[in-house]
Amino acid sequence: MRVKVTRRRFLRAAGAAGLGAAAGRLRLPNVSAQTPVRIAFWHAMGGNLGDTVIRAFVNTFNASRKDIQVTAQFQGSYDDLINKLRASLGSSSVPAVSQVYDIGTRFMIDSKAVVPVQDFIDREKFDLTQFEPNILAYYRVGGRLYSMPFNTSTAILYYNKDMFKQAGLDPNRPPRTFDEIEASAAKLVRSGATRSGITIAIYGWFFEQLLARQGALYANNGNGRDAPATAVAYDHEEAGARILEWWARMIKSGVATNPGRPTAASQRAFAAGQTAMTMDSTAVVRSLLTQSGGRFQMGTGYFPKPPAAATGGSIVGGASAWILSGRPPVEQQAAWEFVKFISEPAQQAAWYVGTGYFPVRRDAYHEATAQQTLAQFPQFLTAISELRSSPINRATQGALLGVFPEARQKSEDAIEATVLGRKTPQQALADAARDVNQAIAVYNRTMGAK
Amino acid sequence: MTGRTRTRFAPARALVQALAYLVPSLLVFAVFVFYPLARNVQLSLYDTTPFGGLSRFAGAGNYAELLRSGEFLGSLRVTVLFAVYTVPAGLVLGLPLALLANRRMRGIAAFRTAYSFTIAVSIAAAALIWEWMFDPNVGILNYLLSLVHGPRIGWLTDPHWALPAVAATTVWQSLGFDVVVLLAALQGVPDELVEAARIDGSGQWAVFRHVVVPAISPALFFVGVVATLGVLQSFGQIHILTQGGPVGATNAIVYSIYRNAFFNFRFGLAAAQAMVLFVLVLAFTTLQFGVFERWVSYG
Repeated sequence: MRVKVTRRRFLRAAGAAGLGAAAGRLRLPNVSAQTPVRIAFWHAMGGNLGDTVIRAFVNTFNASRKDIQVTAQFQGSYDDLINKLRASLGSSSVPAVSQVYDIGTRFMIDSKAVVPVQDFIDREKFDLTQFEPNILAYYRVGGRLYSMPFNTSTAILYYNKDMFKQAGLDPNRPPRTFDEIEASAAKLVRSGATRSGITIAIYGWFFEQLLARQGALYANNGNGRDAPATAVAYDHEEAGARILEWWARMIKSGVATNPGRPTAASQRAFAAGQTAMTMDSTAVVRSLLTQSGGRFQMGTGYFPKPPAAATGGSIVGGASAWILSGRPPVEQQAAWEFVKFISEPAQQAAWYVGTGYFPVRRDAYHEATAQQTLAQFPQFLTAISELRSSPINRATQGALLGVFPEARQKSEDAIEATVLGRKTPQQALADAARDVNQAIAVYNRTMGAK
Repeated sequence: MTGRTRTRFAPARALVQALAYLVPSLLVFAVFVFYPLARNVQLSLYDTTPFGGLSRFAGAGNYAELLRSGEFLGSLRVTVLFAVYTVPAGLVLGLPLALLANRRMRGIAAFRTAYSFTIAVSIAAAALIWEWMFDPNVGILNYLLSLVHGPRIGWLTDPHWALPAVAATTVWQSLGFDVVVLLAALQGVPDELVEAARIDGSGQWAVFRHVVVPAISPALFFVGVVATLGVLQSFGQIHILTQGGPVGATNAIVYSIYRNAFFNFRFGLAAAQAMVLFVLVLAFTTLQFGVFERWVSYG
């Protein structure tokens, strides 16, 4: 996800994080103090994020330790990163620790090229009680935590309070269901407050979230968590078609706009006041506040669900940090030290206020930077409340699929074909399911999974 | 080779000597072209693991899967259409600009720079600039349309407009190169020829049609071939503007190969696609050399 953040705010936040971290924590001399262990950290946080925050984290960490020196290396998008990582496995260029997006989880485990962070957690009796249970539920596979959650987000609704007021809607009560969104969008357009009631990027992640909001599974075998998935599930249930029907109906009736696939386009439309609502990751709260430059009051609300849905909730998105087994044990240990560092409250709070990615642990909210930001911008609270109100079940844990990037793209094809009126929702989902199931079969066969 | 050298060296010796001169380039070709090509052929015949290793021999399985998939046939159609949209447009727009830039007048250097500056713009930068202009809400194209009460067009989201939009970006970016090549050719047209035609009473159009165009035909041909090869391999602008969408409207073959290899981890399938592209490029180029080169005069 591309996120823009003002440099000044970030330096302030990251500086605070640095102070917190440098405030004399005792560290176990696990690693030789003679010559520092040098490790590489691969990440996909471009622009200001990469330049400023990650660098600040690394500098603070390096300054606080004589025994480990971390080099942060930006690798492009999440997709680029996992590709380079895949190419580096088994070679001497593999990094000690790397960020990998949520949907790369199954692939990373199947690669057998990682050291589960659970190994370190067990060895050190590392305390996870402060960590958000919903986040751990996503990244725990078969009861083991394979990677350390780092930047986590959910999808939320963003809306323009000024337009809501103008249309006679309650600006402090965002629509919560499919029907309410549709009705609000229609009223917004009819009242002349805006030409577009809602703009939704064709992003497969939203489809996954909207399924989970209904408590529906994305893939079989308990979303691929009881056993490796062998097929997707959304073509058999009502839930998938319901999403596409709703989405396409709003486009057809002219109350919603289709900005295409890039979320950058829907963000631009929302920030420029061209649309009253949009859906996006909580990771762009800061960016949207900055982009809109205070031209209007921005509200945030929960991601919608159909009126009848009861058991659903949100899935954690974002990325986690993986320790690679291709490096010597001393580097793996150093990587673990760094992973622990970036999950500390100070760093997590700095992340949070700079972006909107919420902290992976609860005590990060006690940090002064987090407190100040929450007081000023309550919009930052929506995502975490949404997550905490989500029950933990197979649907909200999210699916594990080795071919998830491809599957996500196929669901985007299905959404696109439906909103453009080329296919019925059922047909579009059946076509997507056929392609994805074939890809899953090839994956399972070539990876030797059952 | 002249008659004298042929008598001095025995044919076998000449061959050895020729090969010796060719070794460096053969070596480079072997490492960067022939070996990858052979490996690609091999990959295309196998099921591959997500790490790129060979899993099991699939024979023509990958090719059969391609032919069965509507997506692949669609991408072939898109690729050909894309070439049709961009290559002639580049020539038709590039030639008048080159003619204008060929005038002798004060400050012409500024115009020449202006007409050819896109040669210095990378395709990625061009795509980002155009992405802003295409934006349905805040882009300048729809703003201009709104001034004349035109419709709001989803340039990159409407399947009818997406490919023309990507093609426009491509034509704009490659125009600089076309202008430079054609301008260089125009400057090489001998003044005597033009003057002789004028003295014989030819008008502007006749001079252009019967003197200038034949004289620059090698350059026109060159631009046509290079643009075709380039366009068949387009990637950057598609990746940035549309990611192959909407509903596959811009899913040109190289982009499709990229998705299969580096996104879907289906290396065997991608290799088979690459082989098809190879054949396609070969066919196109042969066609151009066979058909169009006939009217090229190398004077």
